[in-house]
Amino acid sequence: MNETAQPSWPDPPAAGSLGDGRLALARLRPETVVDLCQAVGEHVRDGLAIYPQGGTTALDYGGIPGRPGVAIDTRSLCRVIDYPHADMTITVQAGITAASLHAVLAEQNQRLLIDIPQADRATLGGVFATNTSGSRRFGLGRPRDQIIGVNFVTSEGIEVKGGGRVVKNVAGYDLPKLLTGSMGTLGIITQMTLKVRPMPEASAVVWVPFTSLASLGGTLDALNTSGSRPVALDLLSAPAARIIGESLNVPAGDWVLVIGLEDNATSVNWQINRLMIELGRADLTILQDEHAAAGWAGLTEFSAAELGPVSCVVSIRPSGVIPFVASIDPGRWAVQAHAGNGIVRLHALGDWTLDHAAAEIDRFRSLAEREGEGGSVILARCPTGWKVRLGVWGRPQADWALAERVKQALDPIGAFNPGRFIGSI
Amino acid sequence: MSATAAVSATTPLASRLLAELTAIVGAGNVLHQRDELLVYECDGYVVNKKVPDVVVFPTCTEHVVELVKLCNRHDVPYVPRGAGTSLSGGTLAVGGGVMICLTRMKRILEINTRDRYAIVEPGVVNVWLTRALAGTGFHYAPDPSSQTACTIGGNTATNSGGPHTLKYGVTVNHVKGVELVLPDASVVTIGGITDDPPGYDLTGLVVGSEGTFGVVTKVIVDLTRDPEAGRTLLAVFDTVEAATETVSGIIAAGIVPAALEMLDNLMIQAVEQAFGFGFPTAAGAILIIEVDGIDAGLDREAQLISEIVQSRGGRVQKSITWRTRKEPEYVAIWKSRKSAFGAVGRLSPTFCTQDGVVPRTLLPHIMRFIEGVARRYDIRIANVFHAGDGNIHPILLFDERDGEQVQRVLHASREILEECIRVGGSVTGEHGIGVEKMALMPRLFAPEDLAAMIAIRNALNPEGRCSPSKLLPSGGHCIERKSPGRRASA
Ligand SMILES: Cc1cc2nc3c(=O)[nH]c(=O)nc-3n(C[C@H](O)[C@H](O)[C@H](O)COP(=O)(O)OP(=O)(O)OC[C@H]3O[C@@H](n4cnc5c(N)ncnc54)[C@H](O)[C@@H]3O)c2cc1C
Repeated sequence: MNETAQPSWPDPPAAGSLGDGRLALARLRPETVVDLCQAVGEHVRDGLAIYPQGGTTALDYGGIPGRPGVAIDTRSLCRVIDYPHADMTITVQAGITAASLHAVLAEQNQRLLIDIPQADRATLGGVFATNTSGSRRFGLGRPRDQIIGVNFVTSEGIEVKGGGRVVKNVAGYDLPKLLTGSMGTLGIITQMTLKVRPMPEASAVVWVPFTSLASLGGTLDALNTSGSRPVALDLLSAPAARIIGESLNVPAGDWVLVIGLEDNATSVNWQINRLMIELGRADLTILQDEHAAAGWAGLTEFSAAELGPVSCVVSIRPSGVIPFVASIDPGRWAVQAHAGNGIVRLHALGDWTLDHAAAEIDRFRSLAEREGEGGSVILARCPTGWKVRLGVWGRPQADWALAERVKQALDPIGAFNPGRFIGSI
Repeated sequence: MSATAAVSATTPLASRLLAELTAIVGAGNVLHQRDELLVYECDGYVVNKKVPDVVVFPTCTEHVVELVKLCNRHDVPYVPRGAGTSLSGGTLAVGGGVMICLTRMKRILEINTRDRYAIVEPGVVNVWLTRALAGTGFHYAPDPSSQTACTIGGNTATNSGGPHTLKYGVTVNHVKGVELVLPDASVVTIGGITDDPPGYDLTGLVVGSEGTFGVVTKVIVDLTRDPEAGRTLLAVFDTVEAATETVSGIIAAGIVPAALEMLDNLMIQAVEQAFGFGFPTAAGAILIIEVDGIDAGLDREAQLISEIVQSRGGRVQKSITWRTRKEPEYVAIWKSRKSAFGAVGRLSPTFCTQDGVVPRTLLPHIMRFIEGVARRYDIRIANVFHAGDGNIHPILLFDERDGEQVQRVLHASREILEECIRVGGSVTGEHGIGVEKMALMPRLFAPEDLAAMIAIRNALNPEGRCSPSKLLPSGGHCIERKSPGRRASA
């Protein structure tokens, strides 16, 4: 690092945003990995921080950029490197958008098992760096379950790889998992190999309105051992259901339970009947085929909704979802809970003061982080000026000191995304 | 070393540590006599042997902490060990020292089916958890063939697979967190019961780290719903080629079976002699193909698979329809498959298994290649493996008294693994690098890849006392490989 000249933040318009109102000293869009390595190496030597950027859908996600630096845009690295579809794997460069990837896979009637909002903009590198997932993670798994190989560029400007291109591989440390969810703080992901799966023959989104939360706890307990095998179990509050349901022609409800099914057609039909019996209701709205697709899209896009000033993601035990949601004022928060996973997404409604938001986030944290629960609350978005007080990531987890050692090993000078992640990282 | 000199002796190091070790775990939990230690000179990989100076059996995390502190004070290496079924020498006490054997930390601490997790101590044998879950409608998905012996701590350290990991994923997909005693003797909980804890996915990093980051003292695993039903087909083929073409055909047709396993003629004969399940001994190869899920949808899938089998010239000899995995025919077919390893002894006194992986569409190629290798080196090779994942297990049969044959086996093994690398695969799908395959790491990874991994290891295990000279080819004690293993597995 250059010791003498400490770079300072540029004046507007500079080279565009780094997020949270901070501006880039320069913006580079390398056409090749070699160029990217060189750009990283040079700017790091100049004492600048490196801010990897993809589709900028999550530009304001995380802490406030900590020191002046350059934006490195990965979007020109968007090639499909290898798609041996009969092996059900694909190797892509990290700058490819989710929508482009979906299109390539769809030609072979395959898909990636991750629900990705803003797919036309979101790059795969960004999706994995931020550990994006949605409703169907309950049945289909998380990003970490889909990634088998990764290449990333370190602060020395060197491309490193981990994992490989075959679905089973235990050679070396699992760097693909380590990079997943690393918020771009360990290196710039340049390439990844992913598992893909055939499109399901049939898909159904079952929409079940409830007038109160009272009976929902029992319903979710029962669904845990249902004869059906849902791939999604989303609980929506009225405003969430209204927005998601807008184009779906589904009935409103104070609460709506959305049960997702995917399998071959015989199985899905059987499961729908089974659910009717188990739930003891005939008034289910069942979206199938292209209607199901619209339902999935609605659920997926809503996870990135911007309704009020604050959105947060609460992670607790699945059995704790209903008690937790019951403690929330549904007039102040729109709720989308991936109930099978214990993940509750909350979007603030209406006007808020910082004090009020801080009180609520504190309360959520005290509930989620209770002894023996080990849950967490991540602030997905809020005004930049509120971030320090609210705390984006909450109290560091028990393993954070260890995580800092890993960061130290891979990015000892703290070049990547300073300020974005937990603690000093 | 002469036999007489060593019997019942205690090494100088053990003598030095004995009082303190005993104070920590109690006399009943320490082995230090040479004859007692012999069992621990190797694991399922028997090529390299090294007797540890002492073996200790902690019964709680605090014991492990004190043991690690002691090793640090005396600057002695230590290595964690579960059941010792590793097939890559993961538990080898390279450089001697203290072996920390976790088999007496064997409690299932909690089972919670509502929140779908269990917390176990590392010495819990894989199948115990499955048994404890019987009747709950849930199971622990990773099912290595060694599941009646291997421990969940060992599975975690090696990121084990198994026949059903084709559909359900390997160990890392089912571990939510661990408690780890670090090389500085601190205890840290990584991950936990809830999803997506903020931070790095250190759980993903620790799973498969082969004991090089510390001693796992608790494992939080997720629980999977039992399928409602299944169909298990036994498909018979005249040739290995037809069987492997079928595997590729099934995957290419977009079917993801729960399991897709292959046995070739040599293996069929061995298994048939041992268990008499009714496998056709004249067949070139058989496939065990399983689909599971919602009963109503399974006949169609099974039918589709039958058609693919027939189109490749095979026939479905048996089709088992099951509701639980306890049905006798189901149990019998899987016992035959999972015990195949034990049956190899009927073919040859000594054998060695490789664990390569190829893209699954290249199975026909790699099997032809293996046939060619067998011919060229004039050795018999039996095959039983996780075909659906492209994870081959060629078992090379040999007579260890014949030095020249041993050399041929070593060369043949190497050639097969090199071919796996050449076609874009890996040298290990589930057995780990251990001490066995360290020399191949530079063939899979560039120096900068290895440097990154070494940097991580040095960050978490800076003194290198915990499981030295494993996984990564760097410094330390060098191991000369003179003969292949005697064991096999799948
Ligand atoms: C017949 C047979 C069949 C097999 N089938 C399969 C199969 O289908 N799939 C598969 O993946 N493997 C298979 N294996 C290999 C082996 O069973 C697995 O690698 C298993 O996970 C090892 O478990 P273990 O308890 O025996 O561990 P060990 O062999 O004792 O140790 C394995 C490694 O884990 C480390 N370790 C053990 N416990 C801990 C701990 N608590 N903390 C930190 N590190 C630890 C050790 O240091 C070592 O590096 C088979 C082996 C045999 C003999």
